[in-house]
Amino acid sequence: MDTQRSGSRRKVDGDSAGGISRRAALAGAAGVMASTSGCVREFRSTVNRDDLEPLSLTITTLPADGDRESILLAREIAATLEAVGIDVSIEMRSQEEFRRAVVINHDFDVYVGPHPGGLDPDFLYETLHSLYADEPGWQNPFGFTNLLVDDLLEAQRDADGEQRRDAVEATLEALAIEQPFVPICTPLEHRLVRDDRFDGWADGHLATRTGYLGLEPQTDDSADQLRAVHMDARPSQNLNPLNVEYRDRGTVIELLYDSLAADLVATDGDHSLEPWLADDWEWLDESTLRVSLRPDCTFHDGEALTADDVAFTYRFLEDTALGGSAAPAPAPRYRGRVAAVDDIDVQDETTLELTVGTGQDVGEQALTVPILPEHHWSERAAAATIPGVRIAQGTTDAVVTDNLPPVGSGPFQYHDHTEREHVTLERFDDHFTLRADVALPEPTVDELRVGIDPRSTSAMQLIEADSADVTSSPLESYVIDDVDETDAVGLLESPSWAFYHLGFNARSAPFGNPRFRQVVAQLIDKAWLVEDVFHGYARPIATPVADEWVPDALEWDGADPAMPFLGSNGEVDVDAARTAFEEAGFRYDADGNLRVRQ
Amino acid sequence: MLAQVLTQLVVVVTLLVGVSTALFVGRDRLRKTRGAWRQRVRAATPITIALAAVLLFNSVARQIVPDFSWIIDWNLTFPIYDLEGEFIIWLQAQATPAVTAYFSFIYIYGYVFLLVFPLVAYFALSETRPLRELLTAYTLNYTIGLLLYVFVIAYGPRNMMPELVEALLYDTYPQYQHLTRQVNRNTNVFPSLHTSLAATVSILAYRTRVQYPGWNIVAAVLGISVAISTMYLGIHWVIDVLAGIALAYVSVELAHVLVGRWSISAWLDGRVQSLRRR
Repeated sequence: MDTQRSGSRRKVDGDSAGGISRRAALAGAAGVMASTSGCVREFRSTVNRDDLEPLSLTITTLPADGDRESILLAREIAATLEAVGIDVSIEMRSQEEFRRAVVINHDFDVYVGPHPGGLDPDFLYETLHSLYADEPGWQNPFGFTNLLVDDLLEAQRDADGEQRRDAVEATLEALAIEQPFVPICTPLEHRLVRDDRFDGWADGHLATRTGYLGLEPQTDDSADQLRAVHMDARPSQNLNPLNVEYRDRGTVIELLYDSLAADLVATDGDHSLEPWLADDWEWLDESTLRVSLRPDCTFHDGEALTADDVAFTYRFLEDTALGGSAAPAPAPRYRGRVAAVDDIDVQDETTLELTVGTGQDVGEQALTVPILPEHHWSERAAAATIPGVRIAQGTTDAVVTDNLPPVGSGPFQYHDHTEREHVTLERFDDHFTLRADVALPEPTVDELRVGIDPRSTSAMQLIEADSADVTSSPLESYVIDDVDETDAVGLLESPSWAFYHLGFNARSAPFGNPRFRQVVAQLIDKAWLVEDVFHGYARPIATPVADEWVPDALEWDGADPAMPFLGSNGEVDVDAARTAFEEAGFRYDADGNLRVRQ
Repeated sequence: MLAQVLTQLVVVVTLLVGVSTALFVGRDRLRKTRGAWRQRVRAATPITIALAAVLLFNSVARQIVPDFSWIIDWNLTFPIYDLEGEFIIWLQAQATPAVTAYFSFIYIYGYVFLLVFPLVAYFALSETRPLRELLTAYTLNYTIGLLLYVFVIAYGPRNMMPELVEALLYDTYPQYQHLTRQVNRNTNVFPSLHTSLAATVSILAYRTRVQYPGWNIVAAVLGISVAISTMYLGIHWVIDVLAGIALAYVSVELAHVLVGRWSISAWLDGRVQSLRRR
C-alpha cells in the first residue's frame, strides 16, 4: 500500500514537472492569497448583498358567477397597479374556495371582495385586533397587528353612549391612516318583489330575518308559499351557522336559529335591538346582565330550549372543542360578540346572568348570536377526522359540518333541499312570534322556498313571470337600469352595511408596511369605480362602518377625505404615484418596476 | 322553466333531424334499414352501452369533480387570459343582435342537432363501422374531457370579463341558463367539450363524404359555427377551443384504431350458438 501511494504521489509531481512544481505553486498561492485576502473580503461584501426584487403580487377574488363586481374591481385595480410598475396576476376562486383561502388559510397577497360588515362598528374589534391574527375566520384575516389600534378598539368596546361615539371616531380615524384594508364602497341593494302577492316588503330588510316575517299575503294562495330566488347556491349546500366558507350575512340561518335579541332592520336601514328569544333583559350592575327567556320555547325537534342551551352556546362558540383540544378552537364567526361575555351563570330554566367584560352597548350586541341546541352540538366538539389525513389543530366537527338538516328554534324549520336547486323551509308553528301576546313579526306563510338561480337576469325573469316573489340576494348592479316596474312587480332599494374592500395580507412584505398600504389606497379611484363597476348603485366610502357611525371628518365629500386619489377619472397619475412610493421609502429600477424587499 | 326549454329543444331538433334525414339519407337507405336494423343494432349495442355508462358516470362525477379540482388547485384562468384575452375582446366587438341570435341558436340547437343527426345517418348505412366509430369517439371525448376537468380549473371569459363579454347567451336569453346549468360547471372550460364533440362529428363527416357528400358540408359549417359560438358567447377561450379540436382528433383516431379490434358480438355469437347446440 505504502509503495503504491508514494508512487502515485511521485507521478503527480512528475506531471507538474513541466510547469511549476507543486510546492512552488502552493507557496505562490499562499502569497497571492495573503495579498488578495482584502480583495476577497471586498468581493464577498459586494456580492453577498441581496437585491431588492420587482414586486409581483396576486389579487385573489371571485369570478363573475360568484360576484360580478369583485372581479371587475380586481381587474381595474390590477390595471392601475400594473401602470405604476407592479406585476399583477389575478386568481379567481369560487365563493367557498375564496373564503377558504382568505379567511381560513390566510393564503393570499391581497384580495378584493365583499365583507359582511356590521350595523354596529364593534365588528371592527374582531376584524382587526391583533389577538386574532392567527385565528381562522372573519377575525383578523389580514394579520394586522398594531398595539395602538388594539387600545382604541378596546376603548370603543368599553365605552357607552356619547363616549363610545367619540371612541369609535378615534378608532376610525386611526384606521383611515393605517389602512389595514382599503374600504372601497357600500352597495345600494336592489331587490325585485311581487307587490301583488305580498304586502309589507318595506317593513323588514331582506338581508335579515325581518324581511321574511310579517309579510301580508295578498291573494288566496299567497300564504301557501313564499318563493324567494337566491343567486348564490351555498345555502342549498350547507346550513351551518358556524361555517365561514358558506355564510355571508347568514340570512337563512337567522330564520332557522333564534338569538336572545334581534336587530330588527327596516328596509330603509332603521334598526333597533329588540328582545327576541329573551323576554327581557336587565342590567343588575355595570357588568351583570340578567336575561329571562320566553317560557316554553322548543327546538324544531320538540326538545325544550332552556337556559342551559344558551349557556352552552356561548361556551361552545368560545371553544368549539369544549376544552378537548390542546388549544381553544373558537368559532370562525361571532368571535367579537362572544368574547364580550366573560361568564354565564344559569339561575333557573329560563333565567341567566351574563357577566360582560365590555360596555353595555357592546354587551347587548353579544345577545345576537344564534342559540344552538346542546343535544345536537355537544357531540360536534370532537376533532374532525379523516383516516390517513392530518387535520389542522382546532378543526372540530362543528366548524366543518354541513349541518343538514339543521335543528334550530327559529320561525322557520328545515323541510328539504336539493343541492344547487333549492332549500325549502316550513313554518315552525310553535314559534313564540305566533303567540297572541307577542307583538313581533311572525312567519305568515306555510312554506319558504329559497330557489337557486345564479344570474340576475334569469332571476328577474322568474319574478316577472310570477314564478317567484322576491330576489333574496341583491340584484347585480348592471341589470338595475333594465328593470321595468309594474303594478305587480316593484323594485326595492335598501342601504347595506356590507362593503367591498381590498384586503392586504400584513403577514408578508411589503403589505405589512402602512406606508405601502397608504399609497395603494390612493391609487384606487373609488368614486369612479362606483360609476364604472356599480353603475352608480353604490356609495364610495373612506371608512367601513354603517352610515350612522361615519364621523364628519371621514364623510365622503366628493373625494376621499383621508386617501385622495392620485389622478382623475379612474386614470392614475403615474408620476405622482411613483413619487408617492418613493417618498414612502420604496425604489424603482431603470425599467420602471417597483422593487421591494420581500 | 327548464321543462319548457327542454320541450322546445326536443321539438326543434326533431324537426331538423327529420328534414335532414329526408335530404341526406333518402328513401332508399331507409327502406334497406327497415330490413337490417336488427343486425345493426346488435353491432352497435356494446359501444352504446359503454357510452351510456360513461354519460351516466359523467353526470354523477360532474358534481364532485370541482371539489377534486380545488384540492389539486391548478388554476389556469389567469395564464390563459394573459396569453389571449385580447382575441375574445375583439370577437365580442363584432357583436350584432343578428349574429348573437345565430350563435345562440347554434350553441343550443345546432349543437344538439349536430350530435344527434349522424347517429341516424350512420345507422342507415349498411356498413356499421362509421356508427361504431362515432359512438366510440363520443365515449372517448367524454372520458378524456372529464379527466382534464379534474386537473384543470379554468373559468371562461364571461367570468373574467363580464363587462366585455356581456354573457350574451344568458343575458339575451336567460332561459337557457336553466338548460346549460344542468350540464356545465363554470370551472370546467378546458377543453371545450362543445367544440370537441362538434369537431368529432365534422371529422367523421369528412371521412364519410362519399356516402354523405351533402352532410359533409353541413357538418363542416355547423362544426365551425359551434366552435366560434363558444367563444363569441364568452363561454370558452381560444385555447379551450384549440384543445377541444385536438381532443376531437385524438378521439377520432383512437376510435379508428379501437373499433373492430374486439368484437363482443362475435364472442357472444359464439357463446350463444354453442349453447344452442347443447
